[in-house]
Order: sequence, then C-alpha cells, then structure tokens
Amino acid sequence: MKRPLTSVAFAFTLLALAVYTLFPVYLMVKIATGDPSDIMRERPGLLLHSFTLEHFRNVLSSGYLVAPFEKSLSVAVLTALGALLLSVPAAYAISRFPKNVQYGFLLLIFVTRMFPEVGIALPVSVAFIRWNLLDTVPGLVLAHLIRVLPVTCWILLNTFETIPKDLEEAARVDGAGKLAALRHIVLPLALQGIAVAAIFSFLMSWDEFTYALYLCLSEPTLPLKVYYYMNRGNIFETATYSLIVALPVVVVTYALQKYLRSGYLAGAVKG
Amino acid sequence: MTIQRLFLLASMVFLVFPAGCAKKADNAKTLSVVMGLAEEEWKVMRENIFPEFEKQYQCRVRHFQVEAGDFSKKLEAMVRAGNVTVDVFSQDNMRLAVLVNKDLVEDLSAYESVVPAEVLPAMREVGRFNGKLFFMPYRPNVQIAYYNEKRLEEAGLEPPQTWDELLHVARVLKEKKGMGKVGFQAWGDGPTTAQLYEFIVSAGGDPLLLNDTGCGKAFAFLKTLYPYLSPDSKKAKWDTTNTYLANESFYLAQNWPFGVRIVMRDYGKKEIKTYRGWRGPVREAHVIGGEVFGIPKGAQDKTLALAFIRYFQSKEVQEKLAARLGWPSIRDDAYGNMADWLKPHYRSVKEALEHGVYRPNVPYWDEFDKLLNEAFLRIVVQQGDVGEILNAYHEEMEGIKREYSR
Amino acid sequence: MNIRDRACLYLSVAPLIAYILVFTFVPVLCGVWLGFAGKFSGAFPSWENYRYIVSHFQFRSALLNTLIITGVGLFLELVAGFFLAFLLTKKFKLKGFVRALVLLPLGIPTIVSAATMRSVFDTQGYLNEFLYRAQLIRVAVDWGDGGMKTLFAVVVSDMWKVTPLVMLILLAGLESIPGELYEAARVDGASALGTLRHITIPLLKPFIVMALVVRGIDAFRLFELPLALAGRGSPVLSTYAYFEYMDYNNPNTAAAAASILFAIILLCVVLVVKTTTRKVLGGK
Repeated sequence: MKRPLTSVAFAFTLLALAVYTLFPVYLMVKIATGDPSDIMRERPGLLLHSFTLEHFRNVLSSGYLVAPFEKSLSVAVLTALGALLLSVPAAYAISRFPKNVQYGFLLLIFVTRMFPEVGIALPVSVAFIRWNLLDTVPGLVLAHLIRVLPVTCWILLNTFETIPKDLEEAARVDGAGKLAALRHIVLPLALQGIAVAAIFSFLMSWDEFTYALYLCLSEPTLPLKVYYYMNRGNIFETATYSLIVALPVVVVTYALQKYLRSGYLAGAVKG
Repeated sequence: MTIQRLFLLASMVFLVFPAGCAKKADNAKTLSVVMGLAEEEWKVMRENIFPEFEKQYQCRVRHFQVEAGDFSKKLEAMVRAGNVTVDVFSQDNMRLAVLVNKDLVEDLSAYESVVPAEVLPAMREVGRFNGKLFFMPYRPNVQIAYYNEKRLEEAGLEPPQTWDELLHVARVLKEKKGMGKVGFQAWGDGPTTAQLYEFIVSAGGDPLLLNDTGCGKAFAFLKTLYPYLSPDSKKAKWDTTNTYLANESFYLAQNWPFGVRIVMRDYGKKEIKTYRGWRGPVREAHVIGGEVFGIPKGAQDKTLALAFIRYFQSKEVQEKLAARLGWPSIRDDAYGNMADWLKPHYRSVKEALEHGVYRPNVPYWDEFDKLLNEAFLRIVVQQGDVGEILNAYHEEMEGIKREYSR
Repeated sequence: MNIRDRACLYLSVAPLIAYILVFTFVPVLCGVWLGFAGKFSGAFPSWENYRYIVSHFQFRSALLNTLIITGVGLFLELVAGFFLAFLLTKKFKLKGFVRALVLLPLGIPTIVSAATMRSVFDTQGYLNEFLYRAQLIRVAVDWGDGGMKTLFAVVVSDMWKVTPLVMLILLAGLESIPGELYEAARVDGASALGTLRHITIPLLKPFIVMALVVRGIDAFRLFELPLALAGRGSPVLSTYAYFEYMDYNNPNTAAAAASILFAIILLCVVLVVKTTTRKVLGGK
C-alpha cells in the first residue's frame, strides 16, 4: 500500500464496493420516502429529490404488519427450537461415532441439501391439503425444518468435533458421570456453536419463501406479503414494506456478525 | 442423562406448541371472507364497505387475501378435512370449473331469487354449471385503454380506433422515441390470454380452435405489431402495467379499470386518460372478466353469507365500489355520487362493456390458456410462422379435448 | 464404548434420521412417483409427462437458462468472493467497516432484494439511469428481454446477496494457509502470480470445491429471484415447475421437471467431487 497509485486504486475499489453493496438499500429508502411525481418519470434520477412519510402511513395503517409478523416470528422461533432439539443430540452422537459411520450420516445429511425445494414442496403441499396443515404454523415449521436441519447439523457437527473426546473422558476418569461430563465439559464448550446454529436457523426460516409460497395461502408470512405487494400493490408500498421487513434482520445480522466467523465454515471442508 | 432430559424438553415443547397456536375464541359472530384484491381495493373494503355490513348485522368481518389460483387448493384442504373456516369467497370467473368439478361449493339454485332483478342477465349465467347455480355475480370487469394524452399530442397522434391506427401509433412512437411506447400484457398466463382472446374475437375467430381464419389474422397482426411495442410488454400484467403507464414506459396500453385509481390518484398522473379501446377488422370486442361469490360446502353460517352477497349486490354498495374504485357495476341502475375525476373513466368502462364478450367455462381452460400462451411466444415474440405453429397447437388442443370428453 | 453408550448414541440420532426420511426422502420419492404417473391415463410408470415437457420449448429454455445462470453465476461469485476474501486478509484502516459492509446483504431477505432489483433493472430503472449519466447509452437497455440480459440481471442480483457467503468460505481457506509459505516464496523470488498459482490456489482447493458445491446446489435451485425478475419470459427449472403446478394445476409435469432438476444437481455434484478428489489424490 505504499505506492500512491496502488492506494488510489485501492481506495477506488473500496468506493466501488461500497456503492455496489449499498445502492439497492439506498434505492429502497429513496422509493419508500419519494414523492410519486418525483419517482414516476422516464428518467427517475439518482439522488433524493423529495421526502414524504405518506407511504409509511399507508403501510402502517393497512393492518398487514402485525399478523404476518406474528406468523413469521412464531414459525422462526419454533423452527430454531425444533432444529436444536433434533440436531444437537444427533450431531453430538454423530461426532462420537467411528469415522466410517460418521461418513454415512454426513452423506445422508448432505444429500438432503441437494433436493430442489420445488420438488419437495409440491408433494408436501399435496399431503398437507389432505392433513389440513395448509396455512398453519406447525405445517410451515415442519417444512422449514427440511431446509434448516442439514445446515444446523453441519454447524453443530463442527462444533462437537472440535471438543476433544479426551477432555470428556478425563472428566469421567476423575469420577464424574457421563451426564456430568456432558453438562460441565461438553455443553459449555459447545454453547457458542449451538447459539450460532439457532441464529442461522432463525434467519433461514425468517427469509424462507418457496415453502411458504406453497403452504401459506391465506395467512402469509412477511416474505410472502412482500411478494403480494410486488404483485398487487404499488411500488412505493412495496419498497416501504420491504424496508420494514428488512431492517430488523439487518440489525440482528450486524449485531451478530462476529459469529459469522469464517472458522465455522472452515471445519465443514473436512467432511 | 442429558440426552433423556433433552427428549423430555422436546416432548414438552411439542405438547405446548399446539396449545400456544390455538386461536382465541371470539364471542361476536364473525364472517370469514376470502377475496383476491389489490391493496388499493382492500383499503376501500376495509374502510368503506365492511364496516357498514358489520353494523347492520352485528357481526365482525374477517377478511383474507388469497390469489385466485391458490384458492381451489385452500378450499380443497378445508372441505376434505371437514373444517371449513371460510364462509364466503370471491373468485375469478375463469377459475370456477375446478371448484364445481371437485364438489367444493354449495348449490345456490334455491336462492336464485336473492339476485336482484336489476342485475344484467349475462352476469347471472357465469355462475351456472349443468343447470345449477353455484356462484352469484357482484362484479363484472372489462379492460379499457389508457393513454398518455400529453405524450401522444406531442407526437401528433390520436388514440387509435382500429388495428391499422394502433399499428401506426406504435410505429410512429418507436421512430420518434427510439423505443416502443405501446404496451401489451405479454407476461403470460391470464393477462396475456385475456388480451389475445380479445384480439382473436375482434378478428372474428374462435380462440378455442386456435387455427381458424380469425386466429390467424390476430396472430399475424400481433406479429407485425410486436417489434414496435415497448420492451416492457414482456413484464406487463395487470399490476406492472400501472407502473409502466405511470413511469411513461407505456404511452398507450389496455388494462383493467382498477388501475385508474392507482395511476391517476396514487401516482398522480393526471395526463393519463382512458377510452374504450380499438375495434378489430370484423367487430369490436372486449373480454369480460370479473368476480363472483360462492359459498364453500359445509360453511358455518350460510344465512349470513347470503346476506353478505346480497349486501354486495345492493345499489348502495355497487355505487360505492363504482365511485371509489371505478369498478363497473352488475346493476344497470348504479351511477350516483361518483367523483368528477372518475366519471370519464367510468364512461370508458361502460362503453367497453357494451361490446363485451364472455369466455366459455370449459374444463380444459387451463390447458388452453397454456397453449395459447405458447403459441403467442413462438409466433409473436420469436416471430415464428403463423399457420404452421397454429395448426400444431390446434391438433394438440383437439387431443386434450378428447381426453376430457372420455 | 459399551453397548449401552452405543445404544444411547443411536437413539439420539434416530429422531433426526426419522425426520429426514419422512419429510425429505418420502416427499422426494412421491415427487418422482408423481412425475411418472400419467395425468390422463393414470398409468404407472409412464414417460407421458417427460415426453410432454421435453416437447415444449419453454421447458427447454428453462433448462438452458438454469445451466447458464448456474455456470456464469458460480464463476462470477467465486472470482468476486476470492477477490473480497483476499482484500480482507490485508491490513488497512477501514477493514472493520468494509467487512461489515460486505456482509450487509446477507441480512436482507432474498425476496426483498428481488423487489429492489426489479427497480434497478427496470427499463426506466436505476441501472439505465446510471448508464445514461455515464454517457454509455442513449436508448434504454431492455434488461428484461428474455435473453442473456435477463439472465445477467438474475445473476447479478443473486451475486449481490450470496457473494459474502462465498467470501467467508474462501476467507477461512486463506486464513488457514500458513504465512511462512508466502515468506518462503518471497525469499525464493517468486512473482505474485506464481505465488497465487503454486501456493494459494492449490491450498485453497478444498475450500473452492466446498464453495462450488454448496453454492452450486443453491444456484440450481434459485427461485425467488427468477420468479420476480425474469417471470415467464425466462423461466428456470424451479419456476417452470412452480408455474406448471400453481397456474396450470398440473402436479405431474411439475414433479417431472423437479425430478430432472434433482438429477442434474446430483450429476453435477458427483462430477465435481469425483474429479477434484482424484486430482487432489493424484497430486500427492
């Protein structure tokens, strides 16, 4: 970085990167707060030319925020819980199996990631029509788990693998029972990994669209409502609603970004 | 064992979970209504239509947005499970056959007298299958042509009245602007089918045959027109057409009347005007769409549902819908208290309705819709050979008809 | 390990495996079965649905679009991801800020980014506006032309959201390469390009393969973005299957299309894993 030419090029690269990343977000703000006469032109212009809260008023008064928010939230929370319940014991057990058995399980979990969602969603929705699970929270949770489980297993497996068996065994030699060893040695060490898995599954469920589109017809989640606005609303309300949906997730992701450490993905390569 | 404890926790959560999700019981009578509307339209329902009904009948209206294509699945799920939570629904008139075929709706023949005498006769017949009345009308619909008066005047053009004039306008605009400025809803599916149907009938053809002279004429004309159309036509359906009209990607395009409120009011485009549209070489035809009400099989409160339908058919509500949304009315007597700015648009709608044509309720409509769209893509968008391609699709359509008649 | 411990271990895996079997493998098999069940004849097995979709040009263009989007998208994402990861291994003043910035799109729900990208790639949209201002175009570019430009729009929109993920994977790889290796290469007088070719890329290979497989699978399955940005004009296999089922009430052809998509994914993954592992083993 010493030569001036390099640092100018470097600064320029950073600037271009910033523009590329931030522009779509800026655009949402521009449209959500823009006056129609200013946005609806052949040449819309790049800067902010007007400011109005009219669109926010319209969206907030539509009554379309609370129910979808509740649905998205309860589905995401239950999905995260369900994912942990199913994958924490499983991942721990798999990490303690001999290598060849471990490999078999890994392969099975990996293959589930390869199925196209539209392929699964179709028979699931046909079955849910029969079981009356369309539009229900449990139904969507069951579907979201399909998508979330392979990822949480992956993360948790890496977490448990980094905890040496010796540590656990040493504790048992010292007279602690298996239960105590798990509670006092393994779980504390795995806690961060478990938290990351929970966050990931929450975010994945929050963001999920395909299963929701097939399984929610009259009681939409937030992403579906965005799609509704795209199809049926005007562009101002679409941008406003999108902004409202995106903001909390961006804040959460930003606050938790230290957990998005590359190390969590690193271990996965071994599999 | 920790693992055992986890299992205990798991079973506890799964026991708590249904209890937590159960809906709270509500003492007031409620009527659950399903409709597929744009946000603009819901706003009017919520603010101007539902409250009055709630007051009159001492009940609460719970409303749900379900797209027309999804509703048959939703209804099938509810009827099969014997848990019908919808009391009354509104459905697109081209999506009715599947509901009757799967036996999901109540036979309303006994209540035919409910339909007011002022309702246009053609509207009644939409809901009749095999001699029985399953659906009741409340909203006819027809596309009108929107044009940007200012921009057309700048180019020295008038709104086209015939196909030749339409082609002329499209050509001149493309020459002057460097890109096409006339819109066509070429996104595919229903929107495109509605437009194609109109073009074919105005050329004297029977769309369901796919290859008669009229079909050939319409496709040949669209093939010539297409290069002069706005490139955004490919993304245009009822919703996006409003946006393209407003951001001046389109100077001229057909769309349903609900766009009037969005384009002229929300987007503030006062210079955009409407008229009934153009006529074809043989006749003038405008496809009639619209929505009807039905009652799901096993619905809880049929009396209240019927009252709701009657309420929607009343002069008072029809007038409100016309005045606030520019919706055409099913009654020939609903005109009162319309805002001045809406009047000319409502006139366009009424004029278009005079040349209205109904599409038949055939069981193979979905397949037809698809073939018509494919023919459109191959002939008009990809500029393929009209006769050869239409003949191939005619054969395929006949095959499908035979499968259905077996 | 005694028998009781082992039984406990199996018991802990059992619910997960049962879930995966019931809610993933059974539906997939149902889907394959649906694809082979004739719509009219009810015959099984029958190639009716496959014959039908293959004979329709929309399916063929969906297939082609899927392959192009995946191929081009993966290539660009890997290049951009590598570049970003490389940038973040350097020390500079605004590093923390840049990292946060790069990760921002990960937090935006995909459907929201699709809604926004629609305004960007509109004919009267903001990318065109930018190009006008930069004096690069005089007449609006039609990004929705249904051809390569539309696919490009989908790829760029997808890149915006997922490049950070590729970057994270590759960053993990770059961080795992010991600094002494670079030091040694520098002492030996190796050029920057030589270092990249002989040290960075070979050592990064497992990470590249992982990024390729993980992202590749997702790229094949892209759904919201093509649905919102390309619509019917340029379907991909997943949106094609969706339109068949939702708009045309035809679960059989939809299932057949989804099965083909699955077969392609499976084939590609096996191919990538096979070729790269052999090369890695051969190199040793």
